[in-house]
Amino acid sequence: MVGGKNITETPPHQRSVNTVFQSYALFPHLSVRENLAFGLKMRGMPAAERHTKVDEIADFIKLGDLVDRHVDQLSGGQRQRIALARALICEPDVLLLDEPLSALDAGLRSQLQVELLRVQKRLGMTFVFVTHDQQEAMVMSDRIAVLNGGTIQQVGAPREVYERPVNAFVARFMGHDNLYTISARKSDRLITALGELTAEDAGNGELLLIRPETLDLLPGAVEGPNHLTATVAERLYRGSHAEFRLAIGNTTLQATVNNRGRHLPEVGETVTVAVAPEDLVTLHE
Amino acid sequence: MSYSGAVPTARSRAMVRETRHLLFTVAPGAFWIFIFLVLPSAYLMGVAFMTNGPYGLPQMPLSLDAFERLAGVGFLGWSPGNLYTLLRSLWQTLVSTVLVVIVAYPVAYYITTCREKWRPILLLLVVVPSWTNQVIRAFGWMNLLAPGTPLSSLAESLGLVAPNMGLYPSNLAVTLGLVYNFLPFMVLPLYAAFEKLDTAQVQAAQDLYASPVRAFWHAVFPQTLPGLLAGTVLVAIPAFGMYVIPELLGGGKGMMLGNLVANQFAGSSNWPLGAAGAILMLIATFIGLFAMRRIGKRLGGGEEVVI
Amino acid sequence: MRKRTLARGLAGIWWVTLFFLYAPLFVIVLFSFNSANSTAVFENFSLAWYRRLFGNEQIINAFGNSLVLAVSSSIIALVIGCLIGYGMYRHRHRKLGWLIVLIYLPIVLPDIVFGISEMTFFVQIHDWTGLLQPGLGTMIIAHVTFQIPFVALIVYSRFVGLDPTLFEAAKDLYASPIKRVVHFMVPTIKPALISAFFLSFTLSIDDFVISFFTAGPESATLPIYIWSAIKKGVTPEINAIATLMIGAVAMAAIFSMLFNRQGRR
Repeated sequence: MVGGKNITETPPHQRSVNTVFQSYALFPHLSVRENLAFGLKMRGMPAAERHTKVDEIADFIKLGDLVDRHVDQLSGGQRQRIALARALICEPDVLLLDEPLSALDAGLRSQLQVELLRVQKRLGMTFVFVTHDQQEAMVMSDRIAVLNGGTIQQVGAPREVYERPVNAFVARFMGHDNLYTISARKSDRLITALGELTAEDAGNGELLLIRPETLDLLPGAVEGPNHLTATVAERLYRGSHAEFRLAIGNTTLQATVNNRGRHLPEVGETVTVAVAPEDLVTLHE
Repeated sequence: MSYSGAVPTARSRAMVRETRHLLFTVAPGAFWIFIFLVLPSAYLMGVAFMTNGPYGLPQMPLSLDAFERLAGVGFLGWSPGNLYTLLRSLWQTLVSTVLVVIVAYPVAYYITTCREKWRPILLLLVVVPSWTNQVIRAFGWMNLLAPGTPLSSLAESLGLVAPNMGLYPSNLAVTLGLVYNFLPFMVLPLYAAFEKLDTAQVQAAQDLYASPVRAFWHAVFPQTLPGLLAGTVLVAIPAFGMYVIPELLGGGKGMMLGNLVANQFAGSSNWPLGAAGAILMLIATFIGLFAMRRIGKRLGGGEEVVI
Repeated sequence: MRKRTLARGLAGIWWVTLFFLYAPLFVIVLFSFNSANSTAVFENFSLAWYRRLFGNEQIINAFGNSLVLAVSSSIIALVIGCLIGYGMYRHRHRKLGWLIVLIYLPIVLPDIVFGISEMTFFVQIHDWTGLLQPGLGTMIIAHVTFQIPFVALIVYSRFVGLDPTLFEAAKDLYASPIKRVVHFMVPTIKPALISAFFLSFTLSIDDFVISFFTAGPESATLPIYIWSAIKKGVTPEINAIATLMIGAVAMAAIFSMLFNRQGRR
């Protein structure tokens, strides 16, 4: 559905949708200018008008000086921008970006992420951004749709999808590993392999999700509500934060702790994990 | 009203569209080759089983006369003429292929030892003569080997040929012509093989084996086998069916199978006999291709050999 | 020490081979300028044979036939072969074994079998229907038949080398099916089309056997004319035409070398 119309039966060349392809798909037999003008030419725009539009868009993406080069003289980042401009110039209702940044190295990638965001804000155009990278998805989007095998699992703002995933697939896709089967529940008290935990909003799901960054680690064994006693099985020190694998009974729990210069528990140390009831989410398989 | 057939879905419609597209693009060429090559070849094969009529045109009834004639059975009993022609074709193919290998092997290797920027030019120098028409090339050899030319005089003074006979027409001239004609077809695949040669293996072999001959035999030769095989296909199969060279350089005693076949459609017309010879040639071609494919697969260089 | 001997031996073999490859051509060129009517003894430099050549109507006709045959068969083969090449690419995931066999058939069939098949077929059809009188028409048909596979394979391999999403991109940028062919496919494979045309042209000009068997009395090409001239008796005049043809090939070689260099840039 685009603009209230179902376009499934419309052939691609009549849809007001343009695409930025993963491989950029710039035409090798054409110059940059001819590539940019291709869509306009196919729609029958006169040459003079095309020329000014190409110059405008080239200025807009700050590649005005590349316009008369040949495609094979461009770097990866430049090709990416030309591919974007080639789609934007047609002023589609929807711009489809099919993993546009996956062929670039990490530095260039984050730079272009910011640039794309700015372009989108300035034009106010709908961008459909396809990616396999959940970090990129969260950075780039107003709304995320998580797809599995062609069916939509969840649609929502990045925070909603990350913090309140509706099912195990979405949770795992967003990078969550702390999923536990709820074996029994008494109103808002949930029994899992970790022990008994109280959730503010227990829902009715059969899985419990605990996000690693919501956990507090207290030294030694401390009694209290929603407190679990654990042994540090593994510690990965990452500078800004540290990741822990904690053994509780026969299961393990991941925890991420910000490094504020305080004591970071060592492997083998006994710690207490404090879980806030409002951070617990239940969901379905 | 109800239809028993399936309701056309978007998917099946797309299938129909794709099939129509396939037909539209492929059909003209496929039909062309079918009508103008498959049918004619099939007809030719049919002719081989017909009887020779007046003016050499084929006639009913069906018979194996043509094959008997090809084996040498004539009105006057059996004569070995055709059999000699066949054996000569095989012999010429064998000798010229071996000679081509002997010449092409060092030449291809020599090109790989030259500087990289020279190699395409050297290869071009080998290939350019084969771009000239084969009739002209054969004619060049006629000029060179005719009686009275320096080469012929030399051969005469050495007593290799009878006085005033010249080196052409002769079987030797045919062999020379074949080698000349097919040399580039062997040099190119061998060159490709040499260029890919794994020099580490050669060095290892030089360390392991005392003599360079053994190093060559164990490290270099096996690596060039796929190229050698491809070259053999490209040389031996067309050499066996060669028509122009034996016709111009060989004279009556240098006739090969190609000439025997061609003659049945020109002067001494006998279409069924010619068609039978063509079948023999086809069989030889397909046996050759099949054998090379099998050996090629075993060597692992299969794709290169399948031209 | 031994290495140097080997290198010298190889260089020696190379130069001898080169001599072997060019000697027959050189002799043709040399004797085309011979004032005497001999291909064994060179007397004086003369252009007499060339003068006779340009006065010979048969040769001019044969040259014209060769050109008409090569150009028209190459154009037809280009159109048909292109369609097959594209069809093979677009439907490369289907089982097209029968098509591959059909396409390789003209390549693997011995020339002589190819030629006589066509000839017997044309004669038979002519007997029954009066169509396909041997002449330029039948020659064009035969030449197109052996040119199609080469065009198809060249075009196919060019398409295989392309990024498949280019086709999606063309659709995405509003190109209708016809515009996709005109503005995207044809320009993209243009280098392949040019080289396919030149290869077809060369194959046609170079062919003797197939032309020989499908020609009519009025449609002799240059190679056929040379052939019958040789059969009648060797004259230095043949050297003169042959020299012109060798010259054309040498020019083609130089062009292809320059073209190749530019292509690589």
